[in-house]
Amino acid sequence: MTSQAHDQPAVVATAPSAPHSSMPSLGSLVRRPEVGSLIGMVAVLVFFSIFGGANFMSAGGAASWLNVASELGIIALPVGLLMIAGHLDLSVGSMVPASSMTIAILSGHYDLPIIVGILAALGLGLAVGFINGVLVIRTKVPSFVVTLATLFALAGLTLGLSIILSGSTSVALKSGPIAKLVFGDYLGGKFQVTLFWWIAIVLIVGFILNFSRFGNWILAMGGDAVSARNAGIPTDRVTIALFMSSSLCAAFVGMSQAILYNSAQVAAGQSFIFNSIIAVVIGGVLLTGGYGSVVGIVLGTLTFAIVNQGIFYTGFDANWASLIIGVLLLAAVLMNNTFRTMALTYSPRTKTRAR
Amino acid sequence: MKRATRLLTAMMTAAVMATSATAAMADGAKIFVIGGKADDPFWSKVKKGADDAGKVAELTGGSVTWLGPQNYDNLGPDAAKLIRTALSQKPSAIVGPDWVPEAMDDAFKEVVAAGVPLIIYNSGGMDAAKRLGAMNYVGNEEYAAGLGGGEYFGSHGAKNVLCVNTLPGSTNTEDRCKGIADAIAKSGGKSTQLPLPSSSFGNPTAVAEAIKAAVLKDNTLDGLITISAGDANSAANAISQASVGDKVKLASFDMDETGLQRIKDGTQMFSIDQQPYLQGYLAVSLLNGFVNYGLDLPTKPVLTGPGIVDAANVDATLAGAAAGAR
Repeated sequence: MTSQAHDQPAVVATAPSAPHSSMPSLGSLVRRPEVGSLIGMVAVLVFFSIFGGANFMSAGGAASWLNVASELGIIALPVGLLMIAGHLDLSVGSMVPASSMTIAILSGHYDLPIIVGILAALGLGLAVGFINGVLVIRTKVPSFVVTLATLFALAGLTLGLSIILSGSTSVALKSGPIAKLVFGDYLGGKFQVTLFWWIAIVLIVGFILNFSRFGNWILAMGGDAVSARNAGIPTDRVTIALFMSSSLCAAFVGMSQAILYNSAQVAAGQSFIFNSIIAVVIGGVLLTGGYGSVVGIVLGTLTFAIVNQGIFYTGFDANWASLIIGVLLLAAVLMNNTFRTMALTYSPRTKTRAR
Repeated sequence: MKRATRLLTAMMTAAVMATSATAAMADGAKIFVIGGKADDPFWSKVKKGADDAGKVAELTGGSVTWLGPQNYDNLGPDAAKLIRTALSQKPSAIVGPDWVPEAMDDAFKEVVAAGVPLIIYNSGGMDAAKRLGAMNYVGNEEYAAGLGGGEYFGSHGAKNVLCVNTLPGSTNTEDRCKGIADAIAKSGGKSTQLPLPSSSFGNPTAVAEAIKAAVLKDNTLDGLITISAGDANSAANAISQASVGDKVKLASFDMDETGLQRIKDGTQMFSIDQQPYLQGYLAVSLLNGFVNYGLDLPTKPVLTGPGIVDAANVDATLAGAAAGAR
């Protein structure tokens, strides 16, 4: 799997220099690894605009899946980077409610200034990510197992401390107008401000992966961690930084949800574990690491959000929602893989034609 | 700590009584209450009710002892053990919920066989009380709670109500939505269920956006009820996003501080409350009266819900919440 993935960037890199430029635009377009994700997204968008009626295409309908996509996307991006580097982070599922409860207990239950709650929630995220990273490096236990352990540990800690500190599993939070405006409000009454945070994070992560040394390190680590370390890449530092960023982003989502919904519950956020992985995989990142792109992850997140929310604009019985979601997701991933294979086999075919 | 001191006082009182050795003044009613964890927000209200009723029992030399599990991981067997623990201490009466009949019914039958008066409360309903030979059932019945909510919607002019169920397939929540639908049908309206399995929607934004889609799709909707207080927070956002706040009236089963604040602010119509304080208070009071004076209510079951919290009584409810009784 990984060696195959390694071949591909090489193909993409050498292709432009090939002399057979009879159709350069189409050739480079189809060879883009994201094209499968794009077509998958367009397909589900067309599907739901046909079955979803006018409401799905309205601004409110678009906000429906964009809002869900923005929160999922904020978590999916750093999780995607981790997966490209060959790791997984399941603990985001507990990080979201842990962060919500932190801000709600500090700023809601104890009436501390909202900024204290925000900083504590984000700080907790950095701390949990650091622990994850150090555990993965020191113990050499697969990150799937390490973060599964922190997923449970953090969930238990959140429940236990919430009961001791607030006596409740659900805490109300009243945040001021500034915090609401920045983290938990609707623009035009429909679009969550998290949408803009997502765009900002997309730009940051895109820059890191495509234009910085750090991005090359991540791809190299996912391809072959041992060779990467032998080549002088500080793999330990990169791993810890990646785990810290995924926990920080999960903490960010939990914190902004608490502000948006004026309350926090202990039992929330578990759906982010699988949904973030699904979004990343639909986006064309290999589960084995070493291959993936930011545009792909964004498209994958949008596809998942459209399928998950679009169902409620259609006339289908909601009892079947999960079944339809499953079938559409499988179709999207298969389409994605087909196009990736096409992209991989495209160059040799043109070579044959040129001969 | 508090319970320990109370127990100690009760024991000391009993000791004083015993030494004073007046035959007529034997020990009062020794009542054992089986319930949830005392730090569970719901059960802490039940316990407060039981403790408050216990003060009357203490006046006549009796005592009330709360027995709760350490956690809910193995609820049925753990609760059955608690029932047997209570029985081994030669109680005058026992109160307990029939959470898991398969695991707990045998223990309850031993209580009845030993001639100890028993009241079932909180879960199980009158069916369980009859099956086990208990005196009475004190608590809520989900279907009746749904009916109460549906009648309130109906009498306030709602014709098309959406029941948002984030635990589809569970008997409790299905009964709640069915009660809503049946009561609204009587006033000429209708109610449909929106099932949102928590496996795919365990996220307030996903729930809010799904509710918004349902609200936008059906523009004849004029009422919306959620099966839990947390979901009502998502539903409130969905309604404001869809800008239908003046048309679609929000309600919820159970309540939390955020929801009570919405009722006070006028963005939520009502909440359905099963009044947990009364479950503990009435069950203990009934048994104390029966053990001491042979009193028994002809009303069976004794329903503590549905209590409706709306703009008319929200201030009193908020005060009760601050006191830990609501």
